[in-house]
Amino acid sequence: MALSIRTAARPRRSPVSWFRSGGLSSVLFALPLVLVFLYFSWGPIVRGLVLSFQKNNLVTAPEWVGTANFSYVLTDPQLPQAAANTLYFALLALVFGFPVPLFLAVFISELRTTGWLYNVISYLPAVVPPVAAILLWKFFYDPSGTGVFNAILGWVGLGPYAWLNSPSLAMPAIVLEATWAGAGATSIIYLAALTGVRTELYEAAELDGAGIWRRVWHVTLPQIRGIILIMMLLQLIGTFQVFTEPFLFTGGGPDNATTTILLLIYRYAFINGDFGAATALSVLLAGVLCVLSVVYHFLTRRWSTT
Amino acid sequence: MTRTARCVAALTTTVALLVTAAACADGTTPAADGAGAVDENAPVTITIGDRPTPDKPNDIAAFDRNVKKFMDAHPNITVKSTETKWDAQTFQAQVAGGSLPTVMNISFTEPANMIPNKQLPDITDELKLVDLTKDLNPNVLKIVQDDAGRIYGVPIDVFSVGLAYNRALFKQAGLDPEKPPTTWDEVREYARQITEKTGKAGYAQLTKDNTGGWMLTTMTYSMGGTVQSEDGKKSTFNDAPTKKALQLLKDMRWSDNTMGSNFLYNQEEIRQDFAAGKIGMVLQAPDAYDMAVKNFGMKPADYGHAALPQDGGPHGTLTGGSIKMINPKASKNEIVAALKWIKSQEFDKYTDEQLAVQNAKDTIADKGFVGRPGITPLSQETYDRYNKWREPYNNVPVQQFAGYLESTKSLKLLPEPSNKAQEVYAMLDPVVQKVLTDKNADVDKLLTDAASKIDARLGR
Repeated sequence: MALSIRTAARPRRSPVSWFRSGGLSSVLFALPLVLVFLYFSWGPIVRGLVLSFQKNNLVTAPEWVGTANFSYVLTDPQLPQAAANTLYFALLALVFGFPVPLFLAVFISELRTTGWLYNVISYLPAVVPPVAAILLWKFFYDPSGTGVFNAILGWVGLGPYAWLNSPSLAMPAIVLEATWAGAGATSIIYLAALTGVRTELYEAAELDGAGIWRRVWHVTLPQIRGIILIMMLLQLIGTFQVFTEPFLFTGGGPDNATTTILLLIYRYAFINGDFGAATALSVLLAGVLCVLSVVYHFLTRRWSTT
Repeated sequence: MTRTARCVAALTTTVALLVTAAACADGTTPAADGAGAVDENAPVTITIGDRPTPDKPNDIAAFDRNVKKFMDAHPNITVKSTETKWDAQTFQAQVAGGSLPTVMNISFTEPANMIPNKQLPDITDELKLVDLTKDLNPNVLKIVQDDAGRIYGVPIDVFSVGLAYNRALFKQAGLDPEKPPTTWDEVREYARQITEKTGKAGYAQLTKDNTGGWMLTTMTYSMGGTVQSEDGKKSTFNDAPTKKALQLLKDMRWSDNTMGSNFLYNQEEIRQDFAAGKIGMVLQAPDAYDMAVKNFGMKPADYGHAALPQDGGPHGTLTGGSIKMINPKASKNEIVAALKWIKSQEFDKYTDEQLAVQNAKDTIADKGFVGRPGITPLSQETYDRYNKWREPYNNVPVQQFAGYLESTKSLKLLPEPSNKAQEVYAMLDPVVQKVLTDKNADVDKLLTDAASKIDARLGR
């Protein structure tokens, strides 16, 4: 059999020859990196797991409490609302935020000469530090009639809207800012994918008389399907962990309308000093995201390009 | 400590936890002479907390200078220092872990729990020995006393909540800036007039990052209520005074429409809008002046500070501040040395004219403020004399704080909730937000729900 011949043809290396050919030095070379990776990348994850089963304030000796932290966070009356808010944010971001960068990328790639300019313009928001951007948008969202958005809408006779001060408008307002902030970076990834689309497909489509919309629909999108599916998963995982925007815009308000799971975790840890509850909820969230990823993988396997 | 400072401290301390734990490992150890007589000349080593962090080189230089000066004056005392700071989240653990320095600042919220738990040493006799007792303000001293009047700490810094108001807006609205409102009915009336005449928010409320609960507590106090039972085991806000406070906010928001349009304010944000002239009145401690003027460019002439408005009172005002605590494991000699240090750092300026003046000059050189009224940790007499010495250097318009100043002598100082105050505040934030953003908010139901949530937390 071919396999056995190959095995026989390749003699087993003895430890001595392994050592002589520099095996030890390559292990020594890799070891620090592996240790650093294990300690700093996986250490916190393991430590978090351990913490979630402890009553621990990080100073006195920890106390094992079994699953008490889990039952506490699962019965917290604030959890259902935080979970619903998080799902609502993810849904809004998916419906309104997800197509924007895709559209931007296709648009830019269709421009032959000034593409770079639009590229720069669309990516620029990603360069603004999130905290500065949120402060700026807070200014736009000023609820008084003289606020930037309200003034503009006032010209056409709308508003003024309460934006962040309204329990129903606060979340969409946050999603709008998050979309603005994230679109540039995501569209760059799509643009990179678009350069991989074979141009002869377009030429063939053009010969067949396909207009721009048909080309996008029948050539571009199917060709970057794989990337779209990956980006959607990344966005789902990202939106489930939204923190900065609600924390800085509204602090979770008004009346907990923008309290997300991550904000709840933050409150457990840094306001209540309850690190056990905070890590327990984090572990639960991580578990949900893992399950989500696996389910997503099986659901989309059929459509994936590979 | 103000809310802002506390939040910042909470964050920094959490980050610096490991560093701190290492730094204060060489704290006070129990000494053999614990019960013996005091020997003021025996060699003794004390550790001082609250050393400035490396990002403030000027403060470190001044701190080190003070330490050296003190050690030169007291050759038998060796002073070491650490950056250990009070932080509500980790403090109890530090006490339990025995990793505290000999002396450090803690909040007014702590002694209520610590004295009965024997986590603070009785320093009554030593205070007399270093001649500090006679100066301390008896009103403030209650915070660190037990029922028998024994003393367990030294209050050094006190604030109480009052009403900051914009004098320019008052004038525009045809109100007399020398006559700020003293009752909540007047606040409502004034707010209506300000909004009507100027179009600005007559009154605004803190609502975010735990300040909503903090100020609801303050309003509750001013209406004769409490938020927590004396033992801290149960919430008590589900009764008339808190309901009245929320109903007032609801009326001002929805019936009068005098609270502007922003109902998500934390300390910085509200001070910024106040300084910009968008708000007529807001509940604040007088240190709001510093940020409004220094950071947000408010004209000093426009700033006014009145007493906390009362309802059917006077009931009192919410007060907070800092105490110098001494490690419960410190020996008698160490306690005396620590008190000498506290006296030289915090109190000598009140009795030494030259020091008081120098202090004022230094403050001005550092672009700080001299003369902003506060509550004295000392006897009123001593404090008045100290202020007189510094009067020529005053760069704060003290007469614009007249209403507040008067209240510091007449209003009862009510401490913050003793058990999990920050958590209680956090749970009350959404209650205040709901009342201000939902016209149909049911005050009774909101409070009942919040009470059941908080009681569950207080028991955990």
